[in-house]
Amino acid sequence: MPAAQALEAPSPASLGRSIFHDASLSASGQMSCASCHVPARAHAQSNTLAVQAGGSNLDVAGFRAVPSLRYLNFDLPFFFEKDGTPTGGFNRDGRADDLIEQARRPFLAPHEMANADAASVAEKLSHASYADDFRQVFGADIFADVETTFLAAVFSVASFESTARELRPFTSKFDLFLHGRLKLSTQELRGFALFNRRDKGNCAGCHPSTRQADGSPPVFTDYTYDNLGVPRNPEIAANADPAYFDLGLCGPDRIDLVERRDLCGQFKVPTLRNVATRQVWFHNGYFHSLKETLHFYVERDTDPERWYPVDAAGVPDKFDDLPAPLRRNVNTQEPPYDRRPGQAPRLNDAEIDDVIAFLNTLTDGYDAATGTADPGRDVVSP
Amino acid sequence: MQQHPFARAALALALGMALSSAAHADEVALKSEIDALRAEVAALQAAVKQMQAGQTQAIAASPAAAVTPVPVDAGGSPSHASAASSAVATAPPVARDDAMAGTNFWGYGELNYNHPTDDIGDTQADLRRAVIGFTHAFDDSTRVYGEIEWEHAVASADDQGETEVEQLYVEHSLAGNYGVRAGLMLIPLGLLNEHHEPTNYYGVELNFVENAIIPTTWREGGLAMYGSTDAGFSWNVGVGTGPDLGKWDPSSDEGRESPLGSIHQELQLAKAHDLSGFGALNWQGIPGLLVGGGVFAGKIGQDTPDFPADGAQLVLGEAHVRWQPGPFDLSALYTRGTISDTQALNLTYLGQPTPVPKAFWGGYAQGAWRALEWGQSSLVPFVRYEEFNTGAEYAQQPPGFGTPALPTERVWTAGANYYLNPNVVFKVDYQHFNYDDEALGYGNRFDLGLGYQF
Repeated sequence: MPAAQALEAPSPASLGRSIFHDASLSASGQMSCASCHVPARAHAQSNTLAVQAGGSNLDVAGFRAVPSLRYLNFDLPFFFEKDGTPTGGFNRDGRADDLIEQARRPFLAPHEMANADAASVAEKLSHASYADDFRQVFGADIFADVETTFLAAVFSVASFESTARELRPFTSKFDLFLHGRLKLSTQELRGFALFNRRDKGNCAGCHPSTRQADGSPPVFTDYTYDNLGVPRNPEIAANADPAYFDLGLCGPDRIDLVERRDLCGQFKVPTLRNVATRQVWFHNGYFHSLKETLHFYVERDTDPERWYPVDAAGVPDKFDDLPAPLRRNVNTQEPPYDRRPGQAPRLNDAEIDDVIAFLNTLTDGYDAATGTADPGRDVVSP
Repeated sequence: MQQHPFARAALALALGMALSSAAHADEVALKSEIDALRAEVAALQAAVKQMQAGQTQAIAASPAAAVTPVPVDAGGSPSHASAASSAVATAPPVARDDAMAGTNFWGYGELNYNHPTDDIGDTQADLRRAVIGFTHAFDDSTRVYGEIEWEHAVASADDQGETEVEQLYVEHSLAGNYGVRAGLMLIPLGLLNEHHEPTNYYGVELNFVENAIIPTTWREGGLAMYGSTDAGFSWNVGVGTGPDLGKWDPSSDEGRESPLGSIHQELQLAKAHDLSGFGALNWQGIPGLLVGGGVFAGKIGQDTPDFPADGAQLVLGEAHVRWQPGPFDLSALYTRGTISDTQALNLTYLGQPTPVPKAFWGGYAQGAWRALEWGQSSLVPFVRYEEFNTGAEYAQQPPGFGTPALPTERVWTAGANYYLNPNVVFKVDYQHFNYDDEALGYGNRFDLGLGYQF
């Protein structure tokens, strides 16, 4: 039937799905995009490691925690707002302007799929089970030029990421609530209010919870950057070198803003959709539980010795993952960061539990019949 | 519904003036009215003569050189009666060459200076508005009417100014006393929305009620009919676009500043699934007296998919009265608006600073006195008291999640308009606020202003 044939006809997006799951495209032959961006885990990591290892033997340590790939298609190329606020961009430092550029990097990164060059990727693609589909979509001689082949591959991945419903399902309990189709529990409502209140969590300040300007549901990020002074993570191998600092916008991975020292330490504000399903939190994967993460948010400034190394005199080395001259860049102005030792945190323990109850409503794949959410529920098998 | 003190005051004022119509016709007031009418007739005769002369003479190259000054109001103070008869009628005719015959240009503008007495660092000077308007008569019964406005001096991608088409409609007279309009029109509510030229109101700033509650300048696209009767009634009914509740931003202060002002669409790619209706009735059967009111109602969910307040209904009503006995100018207005079906929507705004109100209202009473008059100049001191609340009531929520009503703001304004001539006004006033709110611009302040119209 023509309709069925049309549905089954290969397309850049369908090829992108195949490439996304194809481990043969890595130097090790064991790592695909889906290895770290596990669909059933909301396209984020499934293990509890702070960072993942890659390379030809899967023994080259990474530098940053795996972000979820969901809802990325709403992002914009990197730019500065009129007031100077850095906004948009892909990767945690925004150095890729679109999904095509973003998709290119992991194929070649030594600590990820570790291909030597585009030719290596193209050569592997030419032997893939879907190579004929690749020719059908991009032309019989697509494999004649390695750069064009590689471009077609990352274009396909980007097409998949920007069109696949499973990467932007909007099927959470909160979405149903937003549409007026169900009610949140009292605890979830309390958490939602605390999340929004400027004098409490003030989470909505960077993670807006209201509909976007075009009326579509919120993505829970304003696409800006922030410097939270997250503690240095000894689980990251690179941090063994005391001179090494991951400064986000101003390097070392991103190189065009190295001179903007005021931006050092800023990382992209992530979506909070599926945040409760994560295994580690923040760019360096320092925290391993959501509750611990929220305690850090509100107690970083009231109880710093709980979060940072303490010297012999009992003085915490606050913001220890930044060189001393750059620690002034850390956001200490807005709630909940505007506290001092001795003051009450903006949220107490019970209130944190309420906020967590709300954050759990942001998990995709909610089933009202069972009251459970599973981000893998909407995933299409490759 | 509990009757608000302002509603009672407006009603009492209207009744009092109706009962005292005999007093209004006293000899002094009547003589004043006759003198004013004589002056207007004389001015109109002069204008007609000059236009006739203009048709037989070569017109000067500069259109500005051909402008014929015509006093708008011989009384020297803004007259709602003259303004209500339409700004077109008050705009002086401009003699043009044949290609532009039937086309008139006019305009107005204002420059303001605000000096908060507590936060003097927020002192600000602003070219608030510059407006160019035009009418073109296609024939004796059909014309197009337009108004283009620039706000805050500079409008560009990097500035805060705006350029906007405030009105653009075609009007067709079906008979001598009624007709039809279609296009972008001002909503005929209140005393100022249709007559917001700076010479037409007292004080540097518009009163808060006709800004925060009736979102002056409020315009919608649609179709309307208008007319008048020999008994002194004038009416205006129409149907058209309305606000879009989907534009509500609970994280900003705009909804607290003006609930409808934050969601009106101004015919800018306006969602038009849900149309609204409006109607206004005014009576001017006694010289110097205006009594009227109006209502605007409609669905404002605009059939937005999965929008929890898709069925929300807006109703805004107002009543007003203005009495101008001799040198005095007294007015009062009360308005109240409601938005239904906001409970589920506000639940999605939990903890946000600005949920959607269920009810909002405001009212004011104002008195002005043409104390001095010499030639075309006059000095008119005034005092105004107003109360308003942009969040008087919110839809009920589960226990513990409700939103308390906002406090009612009360503002005293005292000052004077100095009319250099009826079309150029210098203003000074002092405003005292019951409570301060820096985000909304509430705070005691001293104001200066300059306004004009031609």
